[in-house]
Amino acid sequence: MKSNGLHISARQDFIRRGGELIGRSLLFSVASVSAVAVLFIFYFIAKDAFPFFNQEGYGEFFTSPNWYPTGHPPEFGALAIFFGSALVTTGAVVFSVPLGVAAAMCLSDILPFWMRQIFKPTIEILAAIPSVAYGFFALVVFAPLLQENGGFALATGIWIVGLPVATIGVVVMSDVITSMLPFRSKPAALTLGLALLLEAGVILTLFKTSSALYGMEISSGTNALNVSIILGIMALPTIVSVSEDALQSVGRELREGSYALGATRAETIIKVVLPASISGILAAVILGIMRAIGETMVVWMASGNAARIPTPFYNLLQPVRTLTATIAGDMGEADHVTGSSRYHVLFAMAFCLLLFSFAMNLITEAFTRRYRKKLGK
Amino acid sequence: MDNDTQKSLITVNTDAASENPDSILNTEEFSIFYGDFEAVRKVSCSFFKHHVTAIIGPSGCGKSTLLRGMNRMNDLIPGCRADGKMIFDNANIYDRTIDVVQLRKRIGMVFQKPNVFPKSIFDNVCYGPRLHGIRKRSQLEEIVERSLNQAAIWDEVKDRLHTNAIGLSGGQQQRLCIARALAITPEIILMDEPTSALDPKSTTKIEDLIGELQKEYTIVIVTHNMQQAARISHFTVFMYEGDMIEFGKTQKLFTKPEKKETEDYITGRFG
Amino acid sequence: MDLRTRKLLDKSFSALGVIAILFMALFLVVILAPIIAKGSGAFIFRGTVEYRKLMFDIWNRGDEKALAEEMQIVAKARKPVYEMMDDFRRELAAMPSSERRKYRRALNDVEKNIENLLGPNPDDREPVLMRQRYGQTRWDMARKHLKDVLYATEWDYSGGMGVKVYVPRQDFFTGTSIEELFPYIEENIDAMMAPRLTLYLRFLTDDSRDSHFFGGIWPELLGTIYLTLGAMLFAVPMGVIAAIYFCEYAKQGLVISYLRICITTLAGVPSIVFGLFGLAFFLNTIRVSESKSVLAGSLTLALLILPTIIRASEEAIMAVPSTYKEAALSLGAGKWRTVMTVILPAALPGILTGIVISMGRAAGETAPIIFTAAVSVGKALNLDEVFTNPSPALPWNIYNLCTEHEAVDQIRHVQFGMVFSLIAVVLFLNITAIVVRARVQKNLRN
Repeated sequence: MKSNGLHISARQDFIRRGGELIGRSLLFSVASVSAVAVLFIFYFIAKDAFPFFNQEGYGEFFTSPNWYPTGHPPEFGALAIFFGSALVTTGAVVFSVPLGVAAAMCLSDILPFWMRQIFKPTIEILAAIPSVAYGFFALVVFAPLLQENGGFALATGIWIVGLPVATIGVVVMSDVITSMLPFRSKPAALTLGLALLLEAGVILTLFKTSSALYGMEISSGTNALNVSIILGIMALPTIVSVSEDALQSVGRELREGSYALGATRAETIIKVVLPASISGILAAVILGIMRAIGETMVVWMASGNAARIPTPFYNLLQPVRTLTATIAGDMGEADHVTGSSRYHVLFAMAFCLLLFSFAMNLITEAFTRRYRKKLGK
Repeated sequence: MDNDTQKSLITVNTDAASENPDSILNTEEFSIFYGDFEAVRKVSCSFFKHHVTAIIGPSGCGKSTLLRGMNRMNDLIPGCRADGKMIFDNANIYDRTIDVVQLRKRIGMVFQKPNVFPKSIFDNVCYGPRLHGIRKRSQLEEIVERSLNQAAIWDEVKDRLHTNAIGLSGGQQQRLCIARALAITPEIILMDEPTSALDPKSTTKIEDLIGELQKEYTIVIVTHNMQQAARISHFTVFMYEGDMIEFGKTQKLFTKPEKKETEDYITGRFG
Repeated sequence: MDLRTRKLLDKSFSALGVIAILFMALFLVVILAPIIAKGSGAFIFRGTVEYRKLMFDIWNRGDEKALAEEMQIVAKARKPVYEMMDDFRRELAAMPSSERRKYRRALNDVEKNIENLLGPNPDDREPVLMRQRYGQTRWDMARKHLKDVLYATEWDYSGGMGVKVYVPRQDFFTGTSIEELFPYIEENIDAMMAPRLTLYLRFLTDDSRDSHFFGGIWPELLGTIYLTLGAMLFAVPMGVIAAIYFCEYAKQGLVISYLRICITTLAGVPSIVFGLFGLAFFLNTIRVSESKSVLAGSLTLALLILPTIIRASEEAIMAVPSTYKEAALSLGAGKWRTVMTVILPAALPGILTGIVISMGRAAGETAPIIFTAAVSVGKALNLDEVFTNPSPALPWNIYNLCTEHEAVDQIRHVQFGMVFSLIAVVLFLNITAIVVRARVQKNLRN
């Protein structure tokens, strides 16, 4: 071998390659800790969940609403608890998705750059507030407000949300209606008059609704409505930031193409940007659902923890109980009876949560991948 | 085509031999592939000690790929492999037993965009020497002063050696990059369009610097600027679509090109 | 549709978006405002003489002589209260038995409330419980208890539903010698309590006395610090190394995409499931400690924040220009050298941002530590105890104090103070991250 310093000896080569292999496998083993953790989580939750199904079977757990784990004999019907989780999650989604998607569109397409710089930290701070602080707010500030001035709070809420949205609707409606009338030119006075008429109608409706709500008595402030609103607020940052990412990833070119054809901004967003990013927005919604269903502290503190299905089933003003709150609340007592059905049933619930979030995750993955692919990224 | 390449190589070799320069780096039927795509096709030519060789050609002709092949920077790109030989110091640098670290120490490189590290000027220059085991402060200081002097930037930065290099202007950053490459005393310096991101004034400074450096170093420079190649290089390689079309003394290549493609390119008919 | 309508639609659409954004800002204000307003009440409030007495008795704080002087003045103002009650007791003894029974009951109520307000009668024996040894230490609470002294609370069921009504006690006692007591207390409450603006920054560093009736939140704060730092100790090296592997070493393939799916799955696992896993694995299976411990909690939290750290570090490493890597390699650096000397330093601000944000997350998480690390009552731990002992922690004790405490209503200021402190810690971390990131982005743009 020529000794010009460029070559390395077989021994050096061996050491170097060996070192590289060892280093690489060390790095790999550290990198796979999360994978091992996921497997372990599934294994250990399942290991303690299946004894429950073996002892008590599947039927009662999924179909009976009777949850009396300490009774004689104990009853482990978790239907009401599943329903409670579903109810507050649905409430949170109904509350947060329209708001979140509208905010995301506004952030990505409407606001000027400097205003985005102000509002983005707002969202981050909303996301950063610990869940126990949200729970504390729900229990100590919001629940008494609902309980003592529930009617007033609901009526105010209706006004705050309803008035601006309905006013915008009225303005648009009156314009559309006048443009459909058989006039050559649109008489401004007519539009204005129509708008005023419709607005009066809106205010009247709002007034009636709010006065109906105003007289309402809420027996307990810790109920599904309270929790739904707070969970909705907690899910908002996720929904906003993920859907904003999706909207942003639709490139400038597509938007410019639309603008160049004479489309307004709203038309561009609704007809071009939104369809192109719809799977990303769906992913955002699913992540929001996961955030809401997996949340423990808020529901534990402020949902009322009553394991029964509200009557009627959509009644948000009654207390409910969720999976996460049941696990958190009952484990403290069940811990002493390790091995009993009371202990294992909580793991069974956790297992259901785990499976649900895993499935949702895979769906999100698929959606994200689809929109990335669609946009060629 | 293959035959043509061989022919032109022979012409140049006799031509170059007349002044008797030593060749330091030789390629023999050297090819580079990106997957199935052959970016550089069977190039055979020589690069001479203490001379400046320019590689010119239209964009996408494989000139940067060839240059990066000279110190195996292409190893970084997944799916990239080389064929043929690249002989440096009696060794094919693509041999399995070659120590890439040693190779890159002896064949340095300066890139298209100035890529100083976000560290102090001093630490930037010291980065290479430190890698190769020089720890003594006095020795490092000596190297820094020498390299910065060689790169003609010492006077501008000697009072702020410990400030962040990011604060320098583009032209200064590029000269700092050259100083950083010089600090490990390479034999060959590869320059990949070193002035394409700079203003005319800084370009002139770098070109003057290259003129100085060729006394001690061998320089291979890729440029898309034909005037620059004509101004600073002794030899020129013209590449087109992965093939080396013509190689010869710069003066000859620019005044009496042998190939139609070369003439078309330097007279601006394409490129 | 004609142009005017389209433009109008466009404007309305923008307005809807802006309203949505404003709603979010509103939520933030509505949630933070009461917490900040009332939470700061744990630190700045009007403290009464009882507060100063308490501080002196427990922590030996304050000027003994000044306190003694103040106590004398206060005792002088309070003396008529006890005298009037003594007078009335004597009057009571002389009453016919039916009347006596009626007044006796009401007097007991008054005595109880006065003791609540002013503390025990100086002539009585010192009570066992610390909370009974002092009157109201805070002026806002004193005002509430003053109301209880002056008014009796009754329920009026005449309208069907029960309605709370407040009946002045003075009316009940009209014609007796104690009648004058109520206006006297109302008029002289300032002199009896001597409220003064007080700054109690040591709320953060004092331990609690008599289960959070008095004192601060140091054990909780320290527990949170231990848990957070412990979690970072495990998660940061693992996360950063994993990120380096994914960015610089991993080749695209089945194994890597499987690992990536695992990371997103881990990020989506509900936090309470982490808690159960921590219990089932760290405590019941590998038994890192005999009972709940800070160690077990830290490990659980570390798993929880691992995906966040991996993602943030990956993003930061990806953002390092590839030219840096080329430069280092062209100077003869090996791969590992390049990573350690060039890529990591350049990515550091981004990685730190991610770390700081996940620190905030770890500090605020409750569900994972319920079964693994947190206890309701406990002392501040020494560093060597964290491997074996559980600890109180801010998030858990916030839950505990506002749901399970025996006197939830009387320690509202402590609850708000705790939430305020927790939010302050978390927001401080996040705002640091936001500022650091803004700086980095500015640097990158230059």
